[in-house]
Formats: sequence, C-alpha cells, structure tokens
Amino acid sequence: MKVIVCCKVVPNEEELQVLPSRELSFDGVPWKISQYDLNALESGKQLAAGGGSMVALSIGSEAALGSSKIQKDILSRGPDALKLVIDDSKPFQDTLQTAKAIAGAVKAMGEYDLVLCGMGSSDLYFQEVGVQVGTLLGVPALNNVTGIKSAGEGVAEVERTLEDEVEVLEVPLPAVLSVSSEINVPSVPAMRDIMKAGKKPVDKLDCPDCGEPSLKTLEQLAPEQQERRQELVEGDGEEAVDALVRFLKKEGF
Amino acid sequence: MSMQTIFVVSDEAPALAELCSGARAAAAQVTAILFGSEADAAGAAGCGADRLLYRQPADGAVPEDYAAAIADEVKKEPSALVLVNNSIRGRCLAGKLGVFLDTAVLTSVSALERSGEELVCHRMVYGGMAQRGEVFTKPYGVITVGGGVFEAANDAPQAAVAPFEGAPQGSLKRITSTSKKEGGVDLVAAKRIVDVGRGIAKEEDLELCRKLAAVLGAEVGCSRPVAENNKWLPKSSYMGITGVQVKPELIVVLGVSGQIQHIGGINKSRVIVAVNKDKSAPIFKNADLGVVGDLYKVVPALIEKLS
Repeated sequence: MKVIVCCKVVPNEEELQVLPSRELSFDGVPWKISQYDLNALESGKQLAAGGGSMVALSIGSEAALGSSKIQKDILSRGPDALKLVIDDSKPFQDTLQTAKAIAGAVKAMGEYDLVLCGMGSSDLYFQEVGVQVGTLLGVPALNNVTGIKSAGEGVAEVERTLEDEVEVLEVPLPAVLSVSSEINVPSVPAMRDIMKAGKKPVDKLDCPDCGEPSLKTLEQLAPEQQERRQELVEGDGEEAVDALVRFLKKEGF
Repeated sequence: MSMQTIFVVSDEAPALAELCSGARAAAAQVTAILFGSEADAAGAAGCGADRLLYRQPADGAVPEDYAAAIADEVKKEPSALVLVNNSIRGRCLAGKLGVFLDTAVLTSVSALERSGEELVCHRMVYGGMAQRGEVFTKPYGVITVGGGVFEAANDAPQAAVAPFEGAPQGSLKRITSTSKKEGGVDLVAAKRIVDVGRGIAKEEDLELCRKLAAVLGAEVGCSRPVAENNKWLPKSSYMGITGVQVKPELIVVLGVSGQIQHIGGINKSRVIVAVNKDKSAPIFKNADLGVVGDLYKVVPALIEKLS
C-alpha cells in the first residue's frame, strides 16, 4: 500500500507564555510534531510494512519545517521520505486553505492509496483538514478511524468509532482517513531509526494554489482567570475532612 | 459578511432547540435541517427555527452523504452561516460542507455573537491557552457547536415543517454496525461530577471514586490520560479542551494536576473542590476549596461522613 501521512509541526503549547496583556508569547517556544499526528505516522508505518511505501508530508513556515532536527524527528517515525511545502506568505490558519495546500501537494506526488491524518492538530484542533482534503480530491474521506486493513486490491476495510456505534466500512481506494488517537500507541523511535533518518530524502514542493483565507482573526487572548476562592486546607486527617464536609454543606451540597 | 441567515444542521433532534436558540440570537432567519423522521420533526417543531426541513437518510446512507445537497440548499441564500452539531458525523458533514461552500470550518465554537454586520465566532486554541475571536471573510461559513453552549428558549415559535428532498452522494458500503455500550455518561448535563486524574494509582481504585460519586449523587469523569493512556474510563468521559466541556454545580477533582487543557473543560463549574498531595499543583489556583493531602485517606473518610 502507498501511504502518505500528513504531519503538522506546531509550537509546543506547554511552553507558551501568557503576557500581562493576555496575549501569547511564542518567543523561544520549541517546535514539535503535533501530538495526534504521531498516531497517523504509526498507522502509516504499520500499513507500509510488508512491501508498501510511506511518505510524510508537512506544510508550514520555514521556522517550523526548516530545521534538520524536526525533519529527522519525522523521518525517524517510519516514512521513507519527507515532502515539504514551505511558504511563509500563507498563514495556514484555516482548514480550507491548509486542505487545499495538502490536496495540491498530494496531486503533485502522483499515485497513492491512502492519505492519513491525525485527529486534530495540537495548536488549532479543528479536526477537519483530513475530511476537507478528501472532499477536495473527490475521494472517500472519513474521520475518527480506529482500524484500517487492506481488503484486496484497491479496497480497505475501515473501522470508525462514533459516539455510540462502531461501523466497519468497505472503502474504495484511494481515500483520506483521519485516525483517532485510540487506533494505536505510537512507538518511540529506536536509536537505529534515528540514525537512518538522517539518510532519508527530504524534498521541497512548490506551494500549490490554495486560495485566500476564509477567516480573519480579530483577537487571540488567554482566557480571563476565573475567580476562585482558592481556600486551602492542609492535611488528610479528620480535621481536614471535617473542613471539607463543612464547606460542602455551606455550599448547599 | 453579514450572514443574516443561519442553517442549523443536526443528526440529533434533542440538540436542535439549543442550537436554534443560539442561532436565533445571532441572525434574523434560522432554517433547521434535521436528520430524522417526520415524527421526529413534528416533535422538534418548537425548536425555534423559522423553517424545519427533515430527512430520514435513505437505506445505506448516513448524514454526511448529504453534504452536497445541503450546500445546494444553503446556496439559495447569497450569504449564510451553517451551524452543525459537534458529533463525529457532524464534523465529517461540516468538513464536506465547507468544501462545497468554499469555506473553512470552525469547530467547537464556544460563543457566537453579532457585532454590527459581523458574526464573531469564539473558540479555544493552543490547548486552552488562548481564545480566538474570528469572522468569516467569505460569503459562507461553517461552524460546529457542542452541547451545553447555548440554552434552549422556552417560548420558541413553531417552525414550518417540510421534507428535505436532497439526494445522498458517495455512500460507502457498510459491512457491520455495532452499537457501542461503554457505559458513557452525559457529563454535559451532570449537576455533580467526580473528576479522576492520574493521582489514582490503579484501575481498581476507581471504585473508591465511584463510591464517592454515589454518595454525592454525581457522575464520574476524568482527565485525558486516564481515558486515553490508561483506558480506565471511556473516551467520552474525559473533560478538557479536546474532550467534554462541563458546567456542573459541583466538581470534586481527585488527583488531577490541573493542566490548562483540563481546566478548560471544567472551569465553568460553579464550585470546584480539589484533593491533591502536591501543594504546588496548578489545580489549587483553579479551586474554591483545595485539600492538600492524600486522596486515599481523604476520600474514604469523606464517604463515611457523607453516608
């Protein structure tokens, strides 16, 4: 199976700083592979094992994608090669613009059986890009996929877990699938994988036509701290528990 | 874009009243499209929409197969916002609709407000570190909204009910469909919640939390690692920016450190009580009452006193 895995590089949200103005500071915040894309990479690796191929595709800014460290990090997780679309002139802050860029890049990459995406990115978490990529390409597109297996030439059997139902679907290929975080536990790259990553090819693709953004951001601020009383009781003996019970009673519980 | 019309699309009849109420507060015209039977539509006619179109998916078809048909209906208006319920199918439908309407999708929108000519959509980004206010710059926009964001109106007018005639497109062959019984609870509607974090050492110890929930009349929810990594509770039980966002009267938070992504899911609770051994845990900054102590001592004693 020929698999393309989409993989986003994002600022590590755990290291963002909130400024007194409630704006976010990205100064010195390191980049990382978006958490849920690790599940897509793992799925791609499993599907490509046994004679298939796997290529990773990432789209973003020079700051995010330009370093060999992040490129090797992606390549140590199973892909045979990495394709990059680097364009600092596009914000890639909305699902459609990102999806158009990915769909254009996928077309430029030639034949494929599956495009895999994670369930949503760690930064914006829209959970929509995969579905939009598939729809733009005119192929089946599914979200929250929890199982994928080949079911003969040009067909995959796909398990998709909904809120109260698990469906198994026959999906003609090519297709675009967004995998759930439940589909697997991403493996940690072994030293051998890390060594090999440096020798794998990294190619840059031209940015496809991806239209104007559909959105304008008016503001982005840290939420106001909710007023909490922050009363503190120290200890776990009878006194502490009594204080807790008194508090609950006072609050009417 | 002025977007005076909002289309509300849902595959769950009970969600319509809430969603239409939010839409009504932001736009002059509201059309609801419900995936369900004529009887479902009749039951939901008081949802607050001006028009209610219903469609029982054809044999072998699912709601997301109607994206092109809904887009055709939406395009009868020169400009509109489409608001879809935030289920997994809803998000799939929303993504497709976005492509057919040549626009982006904003998911899990937490507030929708009209500011002059513009409809401003608010949602959390960066795992709850910030809230972004955005407007669509194209004629159409698509958003998804989860349960509990809007409140249903009591005195909504009756909608004009009619069938929706659109045809499905691109249906996939379904080999099996199994209903999933994982004992998930409706945390969004819960008045009291016991929130379990990684301070719980073993899966068996969940029983302790369940006992506390029983004496409090509460439901049990958890932080992300408890559901995603340990798989001790169903995924529908985890609260946070990427999980369920709750607003109970009381939440008792046990062994949760209080990362921002989790706080984003629980900070609309009226009263937050936290028990954690680590005095420096960020949860205490977000609690009304914090007990710095061993939950394995505090919880059994609390159960005894409350029983």
